[in-house]
Amino acid sequence: MLSQSILENKSKNNKKNSHFKQKFKEWFEVLPFIGLGLVLLSVFVVYPQIKNIYMAFTNYNIMPGQPSEFVGFANFMRAFHSEKFWLAFRNTVLYGVVTVPGQMAIGLIVAVLINNVIKGKNLYKVMIYIPVITSWIVVSLIFKYLFTDGKEGLINYALLKLHLISNPISWLQNTWTANFVIWVLGIWKGIGWVMVIYLAALQGIPNELYEAAEVDGANPVQTFFKIIIPLIKPTTFFILINLIIGAFGVFIQVMMITNGAPLGTTDVLLNYMYNRAFSDFEFGYASAISVIIGIVIMAITLLQKRLLKYDEFNY
Amino acid sequence: MSKKVISVLVAAILALTFVMAGCSSNSGTKKTTDNSSVNDTQKVEPVTIEFWHTFSDTEDKILNEQIIPDFEQKYPNIKVKATRMPYDGLKQQVISAVAGNATPDVMRMDIIWVPEFAKLGALQPVDNLEGFDAIKEKAFKGPMETNYFNGHYYGIPQDTNTKIAIYNKTLLQQAGLTEPPKTFDELVAAAEKIKGKDRWGIAISGTGPWGIAPYFLSLGGKVTDDKYTKATGYLNSPESVAALQKLIDLYNEKLIGPCILGGQPDTWGGMKGNNYLMIDDGPWFYSIQGDAAKQSTVPALFPQGPGGSISVVGGEDLVLFKTTKHPKEAWIFMQYMFSETPQKLLAQQAGLIPTNMDVANSSDVSGDPIISLYVQQLKTAWPRTPSPNWGKIDETLGQAFEKVFRGKATPQQALDEAAKQIDEFLQNN
Repeated sequence: MLSQSILENKSKNNKKNSHFKQKFKEWFEVLPFIGLGLVLLSVFVVYPQIKNIYMAFTNYNIMPGQPSEFVGFANFMRAFHSEKFWLAFRNTVLYGVVTVPGQMAIGLIVAVLINNVIKGKNLYKVMIYIPVITSWIVVSLIFKYLFTDGKEGLINYALLKLHLISNPISWLQNTWTANFVIWVLGIWKGIGWVMVIYLAALQGIPNELYEAAEVDGANPVQTFFKIIIPLIKPTTFFILINLIIGAFGVFIQVMMITNGAPLGTTDVLLNYMYNRAFSDFEFGYASAISVIIGIVIMAITLLQKRLLKYDEFNY
Repeated sequence: MSKKVISVLVAAILALTFVMAGCSSNSGTKKTTDNSSVNDTQKVEPVTIEFWHTFSDTEDKILNEQIIPDFEQKYPNIKVKATRMPYDGLKQQVISAVAGNATPDVMRMDIIWVPEFAKLGALQPVDNLEGFDAIKEKAFKGPMETNYFNGHYYGIPQDTNTKIAIYNKTLLQQAGLTEPPKTFDELVAAAEKIKGKDRWGIAISGTGPWGIAPYFLSLGGKVTDDKYTKATGYLNSPESVAALQKLIDLYNEKLIGPCILGGQPDTWGGMKGNNYLMIDDGPWFYSIQGDAAKQSTVPALFPQGPGGSISVVGGEDLVLFKTTKHPKEAWIFMQYMFSETPQKLLAQQAGLIPTNMDVANSSDVSGDPIISLYVQQLKTAWPRTPSPNWGKIDETLGQAFEKVFRGKATPQQALDEAAKQIDEFLQNN
């Protein structure tokens, strides 16, 4: 009896040991494949992030080898009491509120349209996708020139010729027209990506469902709202989260087009952070802002996961 | 089995590359140290110093084709690797270089950055180096002082500049004038005569100090006391408020063009398109645009207002970075750049105003009518408050003026608030 239980134990231990050995062997085998990636990740992603959090609590000195004074939460308090920080925060949130639904609605419509054309599908796809892969810098400059003030600007010129306006609009000199330009650019550049993801989802819907709907007498509008929209719900959530995170990263177009002008009323968080760090040399304060941005994004993502339940559809 | 072999192979190759990379870089550093030891024993192995600058096209050509060859001929042991940097984003680039220990040896830097980088600890003081006192004696005082921070000089002046008034010849004739207005009142009278659709009398390039200060100061405004310690009582004095109010009135009467708030046409475009009677700019206006601009415009001193004819001092200093490996050679190059040959070449061929008084007063340079105008304007020009916090002061002033032009604040409100903030910046120098 006793010897039997000992024996059993022993075999269990053996099993455990061999299990570890197995794991170890697996790790050893995959290490060459992920090792380099792991090293790069720690050097270029993990380490900078940890250092950034540390910097946020100091009055950071950029000179190598110089001491940086620890200031606790002073940088964070300064941000919360700064009018300009809240302006930038407001504009970042507004950018998300306007451009995320804009990109999703237009992207979905375009995807459905392309899914239904018979000839030239790829041509349309490429045309709509080109803005996504174009450089932010280039398109920002182009938009800046398109929306130049005075009657020489292309948009003003067109609107004047069409008699839609009687005086040229100073697009970039007013808070809301300048924000409008930034939003339009954001939507225009994002449609292609939304379209591609939605197209993939649309192709996953089995044809039988469309056929059944047709037999039941559904018109195209009903099909769109009753078949397509519910079936691509998981994709919609995926796109939503990605776009919201992306919206918090709005930066280059603002820096290139307005740089916050007029009077910081079009500034966004990243541009505000960039200028504090690289124009004013306030690296500690800028790091604190980046930590705040990180926390907000994390909170939004967790909240979304809570609020929107992922439903997987089984056809 | 074969899987295992492959993974082991991959691991081995990876390990090998790392080791080899390590080896090659090691041997590389060894070689360079060998070189420098050869240098010490007087064998002619040239030292290369790196020089960053923001010279314009014309100036860059003079530097590479005439100045550097002349220097390398005089000092065969020193090679100069000159890199032209774009001004946009340059401050950020220098900051990253400082943080990453990748600075050049010498840089020609905007005068307003020197105290800021000196405070950061990126620059080496040069006032203890041999030959500095001779340079200080020969240099114009204003530009020299832009290198001063906390008891030391952190560079030497390379070139200086200011802005003068530039008038459109066609519009000047239409206003019934044969020569540029001498006083601000005359200018306003002329502006009223030519005022019309797409026509303005005065074009100010922006609300930042570099753009608006000449008008604000000539009209009697002040920024700080003479010792740069206090703005309250100066920036918001009745004279300053009146000066700003006058500018606002002119803007509302459409005598000042839309470019002050970033609208179109900009100053150069408006000068070419006969939209603006008067703009202001530095010597590069003529060196970049060439003879065509000389034909169609008339340069003159800033018109006199209640405060006089006061412009802004600009320019570039040569600084020595702390991380340089060849301070001796770099300093030789800096001294050379202050000497007669390069200063004269840049003055005569590119219109850069020399900081070396001997060169500025020599007849070849002072004979040029445009350069002599700039030199004359410089005598009364305002050196922007030398302070490591100048960047923030600049932003504060610019936003205060912008608020007023956009009708978001009265001159008194905006200047009161700005003066209070600037006081703080000046105290935290």
